[in-house]
Amino acid sequence: MDFDFTSDQESLRDAVRRWVDKGFGFEKRHGIAKAGGKTRAVYGELAELGLTGLAVPEAQGGMGFGAVDAMVVMEELGRGLVNAPYAQGALITPALLAAADAPLRDKWLPKIADASVLVVLAHQERAARYRLNHVTTKARQASGGWVIDGAKSIVPAGDEADAFIVPARTAGADADTQGIALFLVEKGAEGLGVRAYATQDGARAAELTLKGTPATLITADGLATLQRGVDVGIAAACAEAVGLMDKLVELTVEYMNTRKQFGVPIASFQALRHRIADVKMQLELGRSMSYFASLKLGEDAAARKRALSQAKVQLGNSMRFVAQQCLQLHGGIGMTDEYAGSHYFKRLTVLEMTFGDTMHHLGEISSTMHDTAGVFA
Amino acid sequence: MDLNFTPEELEFRAQIRNWVADNLPKEISHKVHNALRLSRDDVQRWAKILGKKGWHGWGWPKEFGGPGWNAIQRHLFEEECALAGAPRVMPFGPVMVAPVIMAFGSPEQQKRHLPGIMSGEVWWSQGYSEPGSGSDLASLKTRAERKGDYYIVNGQKTWTTMGQHGDWIFCLVRTSNEGKPQTGISFLLIDMKSAGITVRPIITIEGEHEVNEVFFDNVEVPVDNLVGEENKGWTYAKYLLAHERTNIADVNRSKRELERLKRIAKAEGVYDDARFRDEIAKLEVEVIALEMMVLRVLSAEKSGKQSLDVAGLLKIRGSEIQQRYSELMMLAAGPYAVPYLHDAMEAGWQGEYVGAAYTAPLAGTYFNLRKTTIYGGSNEVQRNIVAQTVLGS
Repeated sequence: MDFDFTSDQESLRDAVRRWVDKGFGFEKRHGIAKAGGKTRAVYGELAELGLTGLAVPEAQGGMGFGAVDAMVVMEELGRGLVNAPYAQGALITPALLAAADAPLRDKWLPKIADASVLVVLAHQERAARYRLNHVTTKARQASGGWVIDGAKSIVPAGDEADAFIVPARTAGADADTQGIALFLVEKGAEGLGVRAYATQDGARAAELTLKGTPATLITADGLATLQRGVDVGIAAACAEAVGLMDKLVELTVEYMNTRKQFGVPIASFQALRHRIADVKMQLELGRSMSYFASLKLGEDAAARKRALSQAKVQLGNSMRFVAQQCLQLHGGIGMTDEYAGSHYFKRLTVLEMTFGDTMHHLGEISSTMHDTAGVFA
Repeated sequence: MDLNFTPEELEFRAQIRNWVADNLPKEISHKVHNALRLSRDDVQRWAKILGKKGWHGWGWPKEFGGPGWNAIQRHLFEEECALAGAPRVMPFGPVMVAPVIMAFGSPEQQKRHLPGIMSGEVWWSQGYSEPGSGSDLASLKTRAERKGDYYIVNGQKTWTTMGQHGDWIFCLVRTSNEGKPQTGISFLLIDMKSAGITVRPIITIEGEHEVNEVFFDNVEVPVDNLVGEENKGWTYAKYLLAHERTNIADVNRSKRELERLKRIAKAEGVYDDARFRDEIAKLEVEVIALEMMVLRVLSAEKSGKQSLDVAGLLKIRGSEIQQRYSELMMLAAGPYAVPYLHDAMEAGWQGEYVGAAYTAPLAGTYFNLRKTTIYGGSNEVQRNIVAQTVLGS
């Protein structure tokens, strides 16, 4: 048992932090957000750092790094409030494509590693909430290939992506766990509609419509693969939230020590001191469960899913509490668009609703409860 | 980073597990698993079993006769004992006063006191709190005046846990009124059989006798019983607190009790109520998060690479969790938590239960565990400490 980072992981962290400090200040981020949240250029900068190949196997031109390395990068991207679709393009997609056959992997993964393409998961549907088995989008075979009919919602970086990974139903009813397959759909494919918009957290998303759209089958074992990809996404969201909270708490502490009211720094008031202690509690519980999330990604599917739900419950609670309290501790300035803190607040808010919110995951844990308890249960 | 214990650590745990299974008397673990009343004999019997093996001071280094285990081994030992239903080792001797005697006591004090603590023969109590000195402990007033080879001690200690069984008590006493309150405090070891000591029970909210008042009326304490230097007692007390790290979270016991909560909820028919089970699920996440935080501290101690200053957080969260599981157990029993059957908390009681045997102690445990956010530095004091660390001001 060991929770130390290796020196390579520390170097990786330093590299991302240096890039954030030099090349991705709040002004730049704010500018991108105000201009509509297009971040493909930022994604390209991450590729120059070598980060987009992190989770791609070495055989396909990547680095073949593990979950803890990904966690380190996500924490730093969180700290820097980096709004590029890194988790989607560089972590989740390689996890999904691992289920594809060799020719398909060889075709796409090298381009994903060097970021010449951005491929994102497009799995959300209007009525599904966070349930991955609710898939109404249909796939059928036509003239030797597959075509898809349906719609996907709130697809990250939707109008900046080159391709999408789309769960679609080949058989069964809307909520069946069987009959779901994953497909690759390329930008510009026949019948593919993309309606893009800005999101609350300074990025972009899109609504996709598919009408007889040609698609390539990735795997017929769609739900299990999708679950794995989403679990990778949850771990990434947890780590990003830790970075966001770390920085937001730093900003808040600095503010409390400099802002004076009644002639003294507001850090001297016990009501506020206890508040920041409670914030620290949620931050450290969150960090602990972010580690838990990444370290449990290698477990078998049932244990992994349960652990990731447990992590997302803690992180969901932590991120909402830390964001709300830090905003409150800032007083009026926290409400302004020009102050970085408000943007950390918005990103943390969005992350709670990413890959299942706190209530959803609480329900998952509750409905699959075991008799045993604890980290190793 | 690796969540798993090493093969050596797993082997160590297996050895401990087997030993505990072979040596923990079933009639004692039965009481622990069912929250029944433990007698002095139960607690001391287990202490002596551990002592015979050299494990009553399981955190001690080898030079003082301990096993010399590292932080993770100590954790695994505590966990195995807790999960098996061993009684909580009274910490006052082996965990609290012994490290102070080792670090600051004279060779004579070490020779005199440590063997009795290790063997479990000598029962120690703690004399810190006073009626006027709770969170503001440094304001304590119990006086020790030097007269020749003796200190004459006068004053009163309170909340002395299990002091009714105490052979010895370690006390913080005032030896000077000069300077700051902290600088006039000394650390004295006092034989509780000394003339002038009176122990009076305090019956607490659940109706049990767990804590006491201890009165000192011109008690003569040999100067040899002063630990370290006069007026340095506060430093030693703080050392003791720093020594007390992860076990203040009590996460092992909370894991065991969370499992019991699930059994009670099933038996009472509320396990299938989604609203109730969601509350268990929330608690389960809290327990895992706390355990992860404890494991992080252990890992940091083992490698020495990181400093993790989270003792205050562990105390706050650990105590909140203890309160919550006891609250949910009581709520699971609902109206059957209401009957107060004082004798039903005795093992082997032949009377007629109301509801079920396991419902009898639930309210009492809930009442009793309200203490956890109050003692050991109230959670509000802990928040002050955490805030100081976070804000640096």
